[in-house]
Amino acid sequence: MHINDRLFGVVFLLLAVAYGWQAQQFPEPLGGSESIGPSTFPTLLAVVLGLGSLYMMIRPDPDSGWPVGKTLFELIGVVVILVVYTALLESVGFIIMTTLAVGLLSWRMHAPPLKAFLTGLISAVVAFVLFNYGLELTLPNGILELG
Amino acid sequence: MDTINYLLQGFEVALTPQNLLLALIGSFLGTLIGALPGLGPANGVAILIPLAFTLGLPPESALIMLTAVYAGAMYGGRISSILLNIPGDEPAMMTCLDGYPMAKQGKAAEALTISAVASFIGSIVATIGLILLAPLLANFALSFGSAEYFALFVLAFATLGGITGKNPVKTLVAAAIGLMMSTIGIDISTGQPRYTFGMLELFEGIDFIIAIVGLFAISELMFFIERHMGDGDSMVKMNKLKINVKELIAVLPTSLRGGVVGFISGVLPGAGASLGSFLSYTVEKRILGRKNDFGNGDPRGVAAPEAGNNGAASGALVPMLTLGIPGSGTTAVLLAMLVSLNITPGPMMFQQHADIVWGVIAALLLGNVLLLLLNIPMVGIFVKLLSVPPKYLMPIVTLVAIVGIYSISHSAFDLYFMVAFGVLGYVFRKIDIPLVPIILGLLLGPEMEKNLRHAMMLSDGDWTVLWSSGLSIGIWAIAIAGLVLPYLLGPLLRRKMHKPS
Repeated sequence: MHINDRLFGVVFLLLAVAYGWQAQQFPEPLGGSESIGPSTFPTLLAVVLGLGSLYMMIRPDPDSGWPVGKTLFELIGVVVILVVYTALLESVGFIIMTTLAVGLLSWRMHAPPLKAFLTGLISAVVAFVLFNYGLELTLPNGILELG
Repeated sequence: MDTINYLLQGFEVALTPQNLLLALIGSFLGTLIGALPGLGPANGVAILIPLAFTLGLPPESALIMLTAVYAGAMYGGRISSILLNIPGDEPAMMTCLDGYPMAKQGKAAEALTISAVASFIGSIVATIGLILLAPLLANFALSFGSAEYFALFVLAFATLGGITGKNPVKTLVAAAIGLMMSTIGIDISTGQPRYTFGMLELFEGIDFIIAIVGLFAISELMFFIERHMGDGDSMVKMNKLKINVKELIAVLPTSLRGGVVGFISGVLPGAGASLGSFLSYTVEKRILGRKNDFGNGDPRGVAAPEAGNNGAASGALVPMLTLGIPGSGTTAVLLAMLVSLNITPGPMMFQQHADIVWGVIAALLLGNVLLLLLNIPMVGIFVKLLSVPPKYLMPIVTLVAIVGIYSISHSAFDLYFMVAFGVLGYVFRKIDIPLVPIILGLLLGPEMEKNLRHAMMLSDGDWTVLWSSGLSIGIWAIAIAGLVLPYLLGPLLRRKMHKPS
C-alpha cells in the first residue's frame, strides 16, 4: 500500500498552496526600494514544498503500519496525560502532577503500579528539590504548602 | 604557530574547575545517552539544552558541557552494541558485528576496553585534524559572499540525508517545512508579521528548543509505547577483564586508520558518522586481507568502526564550526545551542569568539581523556544503568525535558506547543519524513533569508547572482550531486551496510 505518502502529499500540497497564497498577501515594503520583500523567500519555499509533495504523490514509498485499536488508544492516552499535566501544572503543583504523570506513563509501559508511582514520586521530589533549591528556579508549589 | 597559542588559550578556558566539572558531567551523561538504545545523541543533547539554560551557564561552559555530551554519546553507543547486540545509536551499528560475538565468547570486558581505546584514538586523531583544518577552512570561508552562503545553505539541506539516505525528496520536504516554520513571526528586515494569525505568542517566532524537545523526546516516548519496548532486552553477562598490553597494541594501527577514515567522512557533507564507521570497517577488512577474522569476534573488527565513528564525530564539527553548516543531526542541535546563545557560527566565529571555539576544541581533547577514564575502569556503572528498564527511564527523561522547557519561560503555551510538536514528530517519523532537516530549517531559515536578501539587493534583483561566481557554481554542483547521488549509489551502499548485519 502506498496510501500514506499520497495522502500526506496532498496535505503538504495544500499547505504549500495556503502558505504561498498567504505570502502574496504581505504588503510590499514602503517605497519598494528593496528588490526582495517579505514574500519572496516564503514563495520560494512554497514552490519547493509543492514540488516535493507532487513527487510524494507520484512516487510514494511503501506504507508503514499505523497503530490501531488498543495501541492507538494508548498513544492518545500519552498525549492526554501530557496535556492534562500542562493544564494542571501551575494550579495543582509540580510534585503531585509529576508523580501522577511519571507514574501513569511508566505504568502504561507495563511497570507494576506501585513501583511506577513510587518512581514518579521519587523523581518528582528529587527534581523539585534540585530545581528549587539547587538551581533556585521556582517550580509551582500548587496546593502543597511548601517552604 | 598561532594555532598552538589559541589552543593553549582554549585549555585555559576549559581547565577552570567549573568547566572541568561540566565536562565530566557531560561526558558521563553523554555516555549514558549513547548507551541507551532509542535515546540517540541528537535527542540526548536536545534534552540537555534546556538544562544548560536553566543552569544559567556562560556560553563557553554550556558549549563545553554539550560538546562533552556529544563526544560521550559516541563512546556510549558501543556498550549496548556489545552487550545487547542492539546499537545504542545508529553509528554503533557496525560495532555489533564483532563486539557481540566477542561478548558471547566471554570477552565482553575486553571488547569494551578495546573499543574504548579505539574510540579515544579515533577521536584524538580527528580532533588533531580538526585543529589543523578548521582555521584554514575558516580563513577560506571569509571570502564567501551572500550568494555563496545561500548556496551553502542549500548544500547543507541537500546533503543532510546523506548518500545512504532513502528518499532525498523527503529530506527536501522536511527542510521546506522547517524553513517555513522559521518564517513565522516578525520579519526582521521589514517588521512585517508573517503567519502569526494574530497570536501574540508567535510574534517572536517558534523557539527551536521547544521544537527539538517535542519532535525528538516526545515522539520517542510515543514510539516506545507503541512498540511495547518497556522491558528492555537481555544482556550478555560481564566477565572479569583480562587484557594484556600486547592485545591493545595490536589494535593500534587499526584505530589510527579508522580515525583518519572517520575524520574524512565526518568533514565531507552527506557522509556522517554512520558511513564513517562503515567505511573504516570495510577499509580495515580490505587492508587486513586474509589475516582478518571479521564477523567472528575479531578485536580489530571492534576497534575499526569505533575509531571511525568517533573520528567522524569530531570531523563533523569542522563544517559546523567554520561554516555554520552542520553535517549531522547532533551537530545541528549543537548549532541550535550556539544560535540560542547569540553566537553566529561561521568563519567570523573564529575571530569574534576565538575563546569559545578553542575552548570547545580543548574541551574535546580533555573530554576524551575523561571519557577514556570513565569508560574503562568505570564501565560497570553504565552497564548497571543500562539494566534499568526503559519503562522507568523514559518517563523520567521526558519529564526532565518538559521541566527544562518550563523553567526557561514558565509558560504553559510553550508546553502545549511542545506536545503538538511531539505528535507532529511521531506522524512524520511514521511517514519517513526526517526530523533533523526540520530543526535545521527552523534554525538556518533567518540566516538563509538574510543572505538571499543581501545577494539580491547587491544585484538589484537579478537572480543569476546566486550562481555567478565559480565558487558558488561549485557549491551548487555539490548540492545537486547530494540530491542525485543517493538515487545512484544509495541502494548499493545500503545493501552493503545491511548485508553484514
